[in-house]
Amino acid sequence: MKNKDRKIKRLFAGPYMIWSAGFIIIPLLMIFYYGLTDNDGHFTFNNIARITTPENLKALGLALLLSIISTAICLILAYPLCMILTNLGVNQSSFIVLIFILPMWMNSLLRTLAWQNLLERNGIINIILDFLHLPPLEIINTPYAIILGMVYDFLPFMVLPIYNVLSKIDSDIIAAARDLGANSVQTFLRIILPLSVPGIISGVTMVFVPSLTTFVISDLLGGSKILLIGNVIEQEFKQGSNWHSGSGMSLVLMIFIIFSMALIAKYDKEGEGTAF
Amino acid sequence: MIKKTLQRFYLIFIIILLYAPIVTLMALSFNSSKSRAKWGGFTSKWYVRLFQDDQIMTALYTTLEIALLSALIATILGTAGAIGIHAFRRKYRTLMMGVTNIPMLNADIVTGISLMLLFIAFRFSLGFSTILVAHITFNIPYVILSVMPRLKKTNINTYEAALDLGASPLYAFFRVVFPDILPGVSSGFLLAFTMSLDDFVITHFTKGPGVDTLSTKIYSEVRKGIRPEIYALSTIMFLSVLLLLILVNIAPDEKEDRKRILSAATARRHKISRFLLRKVVPAMMVAILTIGGIFYSTKMDSSSGDNQVIVYNWGEYIDPEAIEMFEEETGINVIYEEYETNEIMYPKIQSGAIAYDVVCPSDYMVERMIENDLLAEIDFDNIPNLKNIGDIYMEQSRQFDPENKYSVPYLWGTVGILYNKKMVDEPIDSWSVLWDEKYKDSILMQDSVRDAFGVTLKYLGYSLNSTDLDELTAAQKLLIQQKPLVQAYVVDQVRDKMIGNEAAIGVIYSGEAIYTQLENPDLEYVIPKEGSNIWIDSLVIPKNAKHKENAEAFIDFVCRPDIAKMNFDFITYSIPNEAGRKLIEEPELRNSKIAFPDAKELERCETFKFLGDENDAVYNKLWREVKSR
Amino acid sequence: MSNKLIDIVNVSKSYGENLVLNNLNLYIRENEFLTLLGPSGCGKTTLLRILGGFESPNTGEVIFDGKDITELAPNKRQLNTVFQKYALFPNMTIAENIAFGLKIKGKSKGYIEDKIRYALKLVNLDGFEERMPDSLSGGQQQRIAIARAIVNEPKVLLLDEPLGALDLKLRQDMQYELIRLKNELGITFVYVTHDQEEALTMSDTIVVMNQGNIQQIGTPEDIYNEPQNAFVADFIGESNIFSAIMVEDKLVKIQGVKFPCVDTGFGKNKPVDAVIRPEDVDLVKPKKGLMQGIVTSLIFKGVHYEMDVMANGYEWLVHSTDMFPVGTEVGIKVDPFDIQIMKKPKSEDAEAVSIEE
Repeated sequence: MKNKDRKIKRLFAGPYMIWSAGFIIIPLLMIFYYGLTDNDGHFTFNNIARITTPENLKALGLALLLSIISTAICLILAYPLCMILTNLGVNQSSFIVLIFILPMWMNSLLRTLAWQNLLERNGIINIILDFLHLPPLEIINTPYAIILGMVYDFLPFMVLPIYNVLSKIDSDIIAAARDLGANSVQTFLRIILPLSVPGIISGVTMVFVPSLTTFVISDLLGGSKILLIGNVIEQEFKQGSNWHSGSGMSLVLMIFIIFSMALIAKYDKEGEGTAF
Repeated sequence: MIKKTLQRFYLIFIIILLYAPIVTLMALSFNSSKSRAKWGGFTSKWYVRLFQDDQIMTALYTTLEIALLSALIATILGTAGAIGIHAFRRKYRTLMMGVTNIPMLNADIVTGISLMLLFIAFRFSLGFSTILVAHITFNIPYVILSVMPRLKKTNINTYEAALDLGASPLYAFFRVVFPDILPGVSSGFLLAFTMSLDDFVITHFTKGPGVDTLSTKIYSEVRKGIRPEIYALSTIMFLSVLLLLILVNIAPDEKEDRKRILSAATARRHKISRFLLRKVVPAMMVAILTIGGIFYSTKMDSSSGDNQVIVYNWGEYIDPEAIEMFEEETGINVIYEEYETNEIMYPKIQSGAIAYDVVCPSDYMVERMIENDLLAEIDFDNIPNLKNIGDIYMEQSRQFDPENKYSVPYLWGTVGILYNKKMVDEPIDSWSVLWDEKYKDSILMQDSVRDAFGVTLKYLGYSLNSTDLDELTAAQKLLIQQKPLVQAYVVDQVRDKMIGNEAAIGVIYSGEAIYTQLENPDLEYVIPKEGSNIWIDSLVIPKNAKHKENAEAFIDFVCRPDIAKMNFDFITYSIPNEAGRKLIEEPELRNSKIAFPDAKELERCETFKFLGDENDAVYNKLWREVKSR
Repeated sequence: MSNKLIDIVNVSKSYGENLVLNNLNLYIRENEFLTLLGPSGCGKTTLLRILGGFESPNTGEVIFDGKDITELAPNKRQLNTVFQKYALFPNMTIAENIAFGLKIKGKSKGYIEDKIRYALKLVNLDGFEERMPDSLSGGQQQRIAIARAIVNEPKVLLLDEPLGALDLKLRQDMQYELIRLKNELGITFVYVTHDQEEALTMSDTIVVMNQGNIQQIGTPEDIYNEPQNAFVADFIGESNIFSAIMVEDKLVKIQGVKFPCVDTGFGKNKPVDAVIRPEDVDLVKPKKGLMQGIVTSLIFKGVHYEMDVMANGYEWLVHSTDMFPVGTEVGIKVDPFDIQIMKKPKSEDAEAVSIEE
């Protein structure tokens, strides 16, 4: 009956649980191990302390600043977009979603790199601006270009969860709010916005974490002049073979990641905000 | 209706933003100039060359294979997992969903690093299978998160109705529940496939030599200039997906049709077009892909087995034809990996995680590797072509390989200043111009600690091998001062940017200078009067190489005069192969002052020496401080 | 007689090729309980939504208290709607839900608290202030939806099949509640339903609709006793509808037998529709009836027996407190007053009928 059924079903999860233990949990434990020990295997906090050197703190701070700004911009761009999309009608919804997934079929490195072409001094944007007798855009190799890259790369991850949540709001509820006297602004602030919070939280997390830890974007668009924490860690592993200090600094990063996971757990228990 | 127009504008604005880079890439795929910076005219040759380029096609099929396999396996594991998790009590369910979320919420870099540590610690050799495992791991969460909502929505009543009608639980599951969650399963599969296709960071950390996905291939080429064939490939991929999308949406909707009453003829027409567009066309595309896959993999497999040589070299540092010729003549399969800087290459050799057979370190790096006992002595009986290498270069090599026991010179050159005649006021002859306020934001520096410091130390009149802390601090101060004037710290991108007139002045390797002059005649190269760096890249065999004889055969092969000349034509870097030099056709190149400077110019040039781990650490620390300002 | 509060003039609405409302004309009086009654797809909900401001008609106007509100936004109208699926705000407590409209209007805190208490008392849900909507049953949610609407003291309350999801007993209780509310608050109710019993129970006026047209407007007794056409007759209550011949004034031939009736003005020997309610059919000894037949089915319904009687080629539906077993021969008698004669419709879609009362 029901219980026997349940027990059989639980077995289904077996292979997955073994997999996740082996390839999710154990690797994470290894980072902890490397992060908290030195070359001889002794316990130490030195690796974590590496984050406090001025350059590393600067890299972390800069990464935080840029990712917060990018996340905010993504949110500001995405929310109105999602509202417009939800009003378009049900028939077109899956088509629209695909429009946003479609760019992912072109390699993201190439797309980010293409921004170099667009943003360079003699790049396409400036050619157009020049034609219109407007001042040239000089943001390549600056943090602004990195912000642009982050927004561009991660915008779909903000759009999808918010769109998902917004499209699930019963139109009757909106009608009820209007019926009771609320104008558009009031309806938005009191009904739509609170109901869309799970999607917003989900979107913010899905943008903040990757943008905080990226090294590719600052590589490609920052002219290698701008070192983010992601670059520092990547270099520790790939160029320095300093697995201990690299892991130590990764542990610091994980604090932010765990924080966002806790946020999601609090505000979006049912997983309503996920993108699918 | 201002609101409506505003809305429409906003939508269009976002779509332009999203697709602008894509359109740019598509345009570039038709650019006849190899360099990203110049438009050379319309051509479709890259599309043709694409299918002949084994490396790219192999990378493509590897990517597709991994995406398909990992998505499939992830879907099976994930769907089963979702069903299982769903049957647990709330407490455990939340716990397991938490674990499931980890790869999704975790930063790519942490996931990649953690897996790499795991693989190395447990001695799984990095290669195709490790990439596959990694991809499955980050794909499963997407599947689970797609299937779960559908599981929750499933009406328990339909399942019980099936049981009531006599079905066994298994039958009821597969006939009733599974079709119900199928949309979730398929969207999970599709999502996993997409994420796997595009992944870079995780693959970057978990891959082995000779195995490349499109992303890692592209990244390895980013620094110097992407091959336009890749633009062509991306365009094809994108357009085919777009086509599929349009086709699927154009076909008349079945549900809509059922609502209306159609004449028999129309209904049949709709049915046929639905069948064609939704089943036949995609099936044809899959068939084409599969046939292509088989074709290319047979090409690959034609020479596998253990008769191979694993070569680890700089990017664009050999004519691909030369490799093909070697394989044909000797029957030895070449597995070829590329790296960007010595500092990236060294840890890989040192850790022994991968056993390369031939590596091409720079002078000081050879020194370091010898000191750390990482190199094998070369059996020069197997390298008769060594005689083609000029004596002066063998002598030069003794600076880092005192008895010429471990290395064979491969390419050499100088470091100097490349400048755009039209963008500077007077001809340049000194490093001082790199600190000239006039050229603010128009200066390109090398993104390498030794090169950056070397240039500055020379400017200050010190040796570029200085270990004197005062001298180094002085150099660092100058570099920090210089930073606001620097447009970018780049490696091979100096080339494209100078060709594109993006910058007026750049620090560049002599070999690149030749190429840039060919593309942009306004560019001039000079070795500053304060002196500069002269470098030699040599071929060495790591101690843990598994195919030493094949390695020596390879080295002997590239020392052939005709091969050396091929390399010169392709790479435009100076060859130490005197016999090869004689074969160069154009006299301007054969006697080029840039490629083959005379002794006077080389007077104040030094080779880099290995300064020891401690001094290296000092350099690295100072450099990091510069970069982080 | 109270005055017109809402005047619906020449309103039509189409969705694409689909004509949902066909040139409707209707007025609603103050304090009236008016029900829009009809089968699914007849346009009643659309009409309600047009009143509420959620749809715009393609042609025509809606005049409210003398002002044209056709294009006025919903939040500016003095109407409130009770939605079919309640539409309670899931992110707010019951108290916040009820207070919503009042807060928008900027009422004081004290006023709002009083109103909330009053509203909850009115719908018999005291103490539910801090509960969340998803913790309430369907019936409770429905009452909260009503409470939320009426606290705003609208002139008109629009209700879209609000009792559809409730079980029978609860539905009946709520019907009485609604009438009580109407009388206590003096609000005009515009009610939409497809359940004719509900309509008959609660309404002052019933508007029967079909396929975008008004079939008949009248009091429940009028609609029931004197349906104007076959559709209304068939829709309201159960009836026996005959294709009959009007022989002359006050005489109709049904299934070949002449029945005296009371209607005039239908012409001589003209085809008409005749309606006889099941409870108006008298079953008597065969010789005593105008027509003879045989009982073919007998079901005990509690309130009465329901029998099918086959007579002259028509299966009569009879409701009677007398019982006649299956197979009995019976005679059929009908009081002339109980035979309703109706014009035969010109086409399948009956035309709109406008009434001046």
